[in-house]
Amino acid sequence: MAGFMALRPALIATFTWGLVTGVAMVKSGLTDTMAAAMTLLVYAGSAQLTSLPLIAAGAPLWLIFAAGCVVNVRFLIFGAALHPYFRDLSWPKRLGLGFFTTDMAFVLFMPRYADAPVRGTREQHWFFLGAIVPGWLTWQASSMLGIVLAGSVPTTWSLDFAAVLALLAITIPLATTRPVVLSIVAAGVVAWLGQGLPLRLGLAAAVITGVVAGVLAERALKRGGARPTSP
Amino acid sequence: MSETVYVGLAIALLFLCSILCRCGFMVFGDYLPLPDSVRRALRYAPAAALTAIIVPDILPWAAGEVPQLDYRFFAAIVATAVYLKTRQAVLVIVAGMATLWLLRWALG
Repeated sequence: MAGFMALRPALIATFTWGLVTGVAMVKSGLTDTMAAAMTLLVYAGSAQLTSLPLIAAGAPLWLIFAAGCVVNVRFLIFGAALHPYFRDLSWPKRLGLGFFTTDMAFVLFMPRYADAPVRGTREQHWFFLGAIVPGWLTWQASSMLGIVLAGSVPTTWSLDFAAVLALLAITIPLATTRPVVLSIVAAGVVAWLGQGLPLRLGLAAAVITGVVAGVLAERALKRGGARPTSP
Repeated sequence: MSETVYVGLAIALLFLCSILCRCGFMVFGDYLPLPDSVRRALRYAPAAALTAIIVPDILPWAAGEVPQLDYRFFAAIVATAVYLKTRQAVLVIVAGMATLWLLRWALG
């Protein structure tokens, strides 16, 4: 239940993203059936949105696969961070939890349990489940709605910006410590400079820069904080 | 290759990509050890990733052009201020969209 409550603002973001993705799939030439299959099987908004112009242009299949992997590589990072909390579950359960992992679930789970003394408690498992199940339902419902409505939503509404604003409302509360703020600033600068790079490589570069900046800031602050107490 | 087969294969490959990236560590994590320092570092990934997705949307910059300030940038600033004041996610969306529409209506 705590997972669901924490998720509410994120669900608004998921809903608008799903709607936008559903509309985009049909507008880029996929049939309703193919678009529905894509949202059910791929279940990764940014990878779907990345692949659409490539599919529309008839790009080689290996390039579509590679582009999808670059955009999805963050899930490898999420999986590595989440694994200690779920290592005691059976492998089919881990396969299922892994496949339905979302950015939102990870973003809500990690700050909450990063410093938990015991990893893998029932509370943690249920929190995670409470975060991914409504996320999946919301995403699928809004994507299907988007596929159906694709013909009648005017682009002048700028629905995509509502999704950006919802993401903003999730990001700002994460900036609770100075290393995180520095990490966000560094990632933002690199994301701005690198947005012209192909295959959304700017996004990957920004994530790496943000992580490195956060670690360096954490170390620098620790050293600075230790000085007054040393003799 | 027909259009349907091509799109079908593309979707199948993206499905495989989702499984590999999302389940790889969850299923084989015990055989892919990660030092604790790396795990600590990964805590900075979510905020960095969200920022990296948001920034190009509010500060678009096409190659070969002078960077321009979009209405979206100002709408995002208003939305951020509203959030810091109220801590309400829904108000962020309302304030941001209202600002964007108002700026477009007033300034074209």
